[in-house]
Amino acid sequence: MPDPIHQFEIHPILPIKIFGWDISFTNSSLFMLLTVVLITAFFMLSMRSRALVPGRLQSMAEVGYEFVGNMLRESTGHAGMKYFPLVFTLFTFIFVCNMLGMIPGFFTVTSHIVVTAALAALVFLTVLAVGFAKNGIRFLKLFVPSGVPILILPLVILIEIISFLSRPISHSVRLFANMLAGHITLKVFGGFVVMLLGAGTFAALSPLPLLMAVALTALEVLVAFLQAYVFTMLTCMYLNDALHPGH
Amino acid sequence: MSEPADDRGPGRRQTSPEDTAAFEGRLSELGGRLDKIKAQREADAHADLDADMRGRGMAYGMRMAAELVGAVIVGGAIGWGLDKWLGSTPWLFLLFFVLGFAAGVLNVVRAYEGMQKEIMVRTGGRIGNKVPDDED
Repeated sequence: MPDPIHQFEIHPILPIKIFGWDISFTNSSLFMLLTVVLITAFFMLSMRSRALVPGRLQSMAEVGYEFVGNMLRESTGHAGMKYFPLVFTLFTFIFVCNMLGMIPGFFTVTSHIVVTAALAALVFLTVLAVGFAKNGIRFLKLFVPSGVPILILPLVILIEIISFLSRPISHSVRLFANMLAGHITLKVFGGFVVMLLGAGTFAALSPLPLLMAVALTALEVLVAFLQAYVFTMLTCMYLNDALHPGH
Repeated sequence: MSEPADDRGPGRRQTSPEDTAAFEGRLSELGGRLDKIKAQREADAHADLDADMRGRGMAYGMRMAAELVGAVIVGGAIGWGLDKWLGSTPWLFLLFFVLGFAAGVLNVVRAYEGMQKEIMVRTGGRIGNKVPDDED
């Protein structure tokens, strides 16, 4: 049976070592670079004409802009639009990474927790920095819900702090786990087809896992979009906490 | 002219009582067919929405699990670290593990509230309505 984990292996393409640190250019780096190049090329190309009445490509770019812009505006108000570049970059990067991963033989960058954790840490640190820069010490009010009896307040504050600190974990694990689980499932069902085909009379059963693999592919495309959406949506919600900590 | 003169005007020349009845029959039949198509279309849209929400259901489920487990891990890690630091093994770990669980439940409740709002907006309240509780 083909190894379902093999697809997540990282191989160095261009080994680089600096002061004992291994910073090789790997297949993961290659696909990150490909993602960035694709996104940049798409937006440069689609917005080149800057027509008042948009063409096909420009419409796609504008739909993407409106989608993320509305998401951000709805959860943070106009004050949050300052952070649009960050949020839009996150969305397009994750979305294109996920979608590239759906092409057979391609590497899925977001199926490695080190990548999603870095993205989540970026959001977490941005929220902390923005929160303290905008509100100063009042940002800590985020941990003090109003209307709690003074007796249990210390307990509630502790719980709120743990809840806050758990954000980057759930933020990163969700994206990584979804991509990993989806790709493993696809590979396993694909492997079933191959195994059944080589198993004599049982080959008659092989269309069943094939059908399943087709259905799962459709589901995975949906998940690829949804997880990019959920990641962006949560980023917006966390930014809202940083901008308006009073709830 | 071979046909007899008609005094009912040019537009109604061919309308005999039988014709009118047949016409009205056709009209009501057409109305019925239209209603059926409309109902079918609405059912289709509902099914599409349902399928879409089902796809989202998996994403939401994963999110809930991550919210709960993440908080428990953070709570446990804080307690473990404090224990190492203060040499109070295993009491702070146990305390913070439970606090982490509480924080996880808090996360799940908050996430649920957000999802409920989102689903209500997206479906206009047709899917994801509150299920009446036995105790209500």
